[in-house]
Amino acid sequence: MNKVLFFAHLRDAVGAEYLTLDAGGKTVAELKDELVEKYDLPRMETVMTAINEEFASNDEVIRDGDEIAFIPPVSGG
Amino acid sequence: MNERYSRQVLFPGIGQEGQAKISSKHVLIIGAGALGSGSSEILARAGVGKLTIIDRDYVEASNLQRQQLYTEEDVAEKLPKAAAAEKRLRAINSAVEIRAIIGDATPELLEELVGDVDLMLDATDNFETRMMMNDISQKYKIPWIYGACVGSFGMSFSIIPGKTPCLNCLLRTIPLQGMTCDTGGIISPAVQMVIAHQTAEALKMLVEDWDAVRNSLVSFDLWRNQYTSMKMSKAKFAGCLSCGEERTYPYLDHENMTKTTVLCGRDTVQIRPSSAGEISLDQLAGQLSALGYTVKGNPYLISVEIGAERMVIFQDGRALIHGTKDLTHAKSLYQRILG
Repeated sequence: MNKVLFFAHLRDAVGAEYLTLDAGGKTVAELKDELVEKYDLPRMETVMTAINEEFASNDEVIRDGDEIAFIPPVSGG
Repeated sequence: MNERYSRQVLFPGIGQEGQAKISSKHVLIIGAGALGSGSSEILARAGVGKLTIIDRDYVEASNLQRQQLYTEEDVAEKLPKAAAAEKRLRAINSAVEIRAIIGDATPELLEELVGDVDLMLDATDNFETRMMMNDISQKYKIPWIYGACVGSFGMSFSIIPGKTPCLNCLLRTIPLQGMTCDTGGIISPAVQMVIAHQTAEALKMLVEDWDAVRNSLVSFDLWRNQYTSMKMSKAKFAGCLSCGEERTYPYLDHENMTKTTVLCGRDTVQIRPSSAGEISLDQLAGQLSALGYTVKGNPYLISVEIGAERMVIFQDGRALIHGTKDLTHAKSLYQRILG
């Protein structure tokens, strides 16, 4: 199983700080697509992904037990 | 020891030698909103040699809640932020050489300015200008520090050419419809937290303590009590057009910039975003109505009243700003809403 954390407006869209789901074997892009479908998440293509607190590209494969975090780049200042 | 800086000289990371370095450096701050007013004040107080600050807006009442350099008097006089900032920063530390530029940060302006700049601080409210800073940083080998916030959420990342990944490695494209302070709101502590991260990194770089510079992207949500730090060494992208082998500095090219045009015979400016893509009109309309704006719309466009102007936004991100012929003002309004 994987703990998937959501930051900023993604947390509002999902309605929880994190979800526990089985993402082992999927790529980051596949997991993003799945979440977009299920929670109607906005603008996921530019959201940054961390796997175990390390930057991960969209083609990286998630292993069972990895902790995933989705961090949207924000532009206010 | 100069009494003025004695407490920061006592700090082991700085010392006399560090203070001498700080006072010989030139920092360019792009933007004089919330982040820029906070970071410029800290650096002026720290005794940086020279500060250049660029901003295209004037002070409005809605700025006072978090933009610490400005006063009610500045609002009443509708002072340009750069001018109001210059006045206040001079009063804070007369030994700092301060240059304020009222205008839009364009590639030409930045290329002309960065000759003796040691460090750039991001205090902008849009990714287009950040990508431009990022290309300038790579081309002229000047570090810069990304910082941004919205709501109670904020983030920062230090970018050192030749060492860290760059912003284009992380994003690969300009995010369309990023959350902004005008759509998602903002609380002052989130601003201050970003400023604290950016200026601590700035001091490390100014005293040339490169090993102390953070190599992760930090992000936090002060309301939800989340804090995370993401290691970035794997984010370097070999094919990056800003920092890779085949670099072209795409964001210094006007082809890749937001296009603004005054529509002939009308008091209207048209804005075309630099990257193509669809925005969610429903979501944007919802956010803007929640903030008290009058929003009307249909499946193809939304129309929102902003003060004396009316902005019509289409699904492809194009917008018409009615009630102005001022290109810079129109672009500023657009980027406040769409990032």
